[in-house]
Amino acid sequence: MMEYLKYIGQGLIVFGSLFLFLGALGIFRMPDFYNRLQAGTKASTLGAMSLILGVGFIQPEWMIKSLIIVVFIAVANPLSSHALGRSAYKNNLKPFMKKKMDAYEKVAEILPKEEDRL
Amino acid sequence: MIYVYTGAIVLLAMLLVYVALYAIRQKDLLYAVIATGVVSLILSIVFLMLQAPDVALTEAAIGIALTTIAFVITIRNTARYENDNAQSGFNNKKE
Amino acid sequence: MKKFFVIALLAILGFYLTIAFLQIPFGQNRLGQPQDEATVGAYYLNNTKEKSAVSNVVTAIVVNYRGFDTLGEVTVLFLASTGLASILYRRKEEEVERINKPSSSLLQTGSKFLFPLVVLLGIYVFIHGHLTPGGGFQGGAIIATGFLLMLIAYQKYHVSHSMLTWVESLAGVLFVSIGLWGLITGGTFLENSYFPKGVLNSLISGGAIPIIYIAVGFKVAAELTGVLDILLNTKEEKSVPSNQNEK
Repeated sequence: MMEYLKYIGQGLIVFGSLFLFLGALGIFRMPDFYNRLQAGTKASTLGAMSLILGVGFIQPEWMIKSLIIVVFIAVANPLSSHALGRSAYKNNLKPFMKKKMDAYEKVAEILPKEEDRL
Repeated sequence: MIYVYTGAIVLLAMLLVYVALYAIRQKDLLYAVIATGVVSLILSIVFLMLQAPDVALTEAAIGIALTTIAFVITIRNTARYENDNAQSGFNNKKE
Repeated sequence: MKKFFVIALLAILGFYLTIAFLQIPFGQNRLGQPQDEATVGAYYLNNTKEKSAVSNVVTAIVVNYRGFDTLGEVTVLFLASTGLASILYRRKEEEVERINKPSSSLLQTGSKFLFPLVVLLGIYVFIHGHLTPGGGFQGGAIIATGFLLMLIAYQKYHVSHSMLTWVESLAGVLFVSIGLWGLITGGTFLENSYFPKGVLNSLISGGAIPIIYIAVGFKVAAELTGVLDILLNTKEEKSVPSNQNEK
């Protein structure tokens, strides 16, 4: 039983760090402030919570402290992203609306004309 | 494992120098303050890698939260953009 | 003429500093092994367990072996906070309105929920300063961050400055009086030998070290909270002249 707890804990740590990496990648790649805010909050919160829970499983005497920290992260991260989004909206930051994502239009004049090649 | 730690510390130190240079050359002071917070964060991680958890905890508690907030309140009370034409009494320029 | 004088002074200072720094053998192992007692670090690492009975060597060095420097550091923080308060603090009669706008009810409820947790973390850090990494300064900064959360979320939240003054002064008096007790009973200032030493690695251990760190934690928390409260209450001055308008 004790070894299974250790394996569950290690699996949770890997899962958490994967989601933290994906959250950072999302912040890097998103085009707009609101998109970046969503990517950063959701992925980072899940990653951090499962990381701390995994540490709590590996050492069972730290489980109560880990649960309190998990509750704290689950309340504090969405609150801070709510405050950020609200302040961005109040300062007239417009979201990025893409009309048409047409990457072909830019290279259409460079490529040769499409015609029948019989 | 010693080689991994040394490489990571060197990489983080180069990143720290780059962010600090960015903070110096900015004209918008709010950006510079956030960059100073990032410098404190990277420094706290480097302290943890050099096996000094007390100093890392102090730097994280004070350098990231408190000095950033104090600077943001000061910027709100004075000026947001850096003034290039600011006269200083030391040079004794009279224009 | 003045520049030549300054450059000459800097050259002399640099020359003597270089001579002083060349005496230090860089690149050698100065920490020493725990077997030989020649270096200072090895002495601290070997003798902290028996003589000071704490498990955190950094805390033992900061509070016990170099306790006088900690007293100086606490004095520097006190001077900084007093200087800021003497410039910016005004005892207003009417209701002080803060410079931040009112926040949403979500933020207010969440801050009310999170504030006891943050203060709990800060108190935990400075009470267990002699067992885990941490101590008085770190715990005080964490508590100040908790108060900052409440000050930002609510516009009408006030921390009474008289209570902050009392806490800070009593903590400072406690620190110095522990030192004077060591002077009276032991012979040197801040001596740690007339307090009960307790069991190693438990909460009551190390003599006067936890008591000093608790006092330092309360003092730093009160000072930093006072500094943040004063900064947030300052109104935006429209009378600062910008240099572009003078031309």
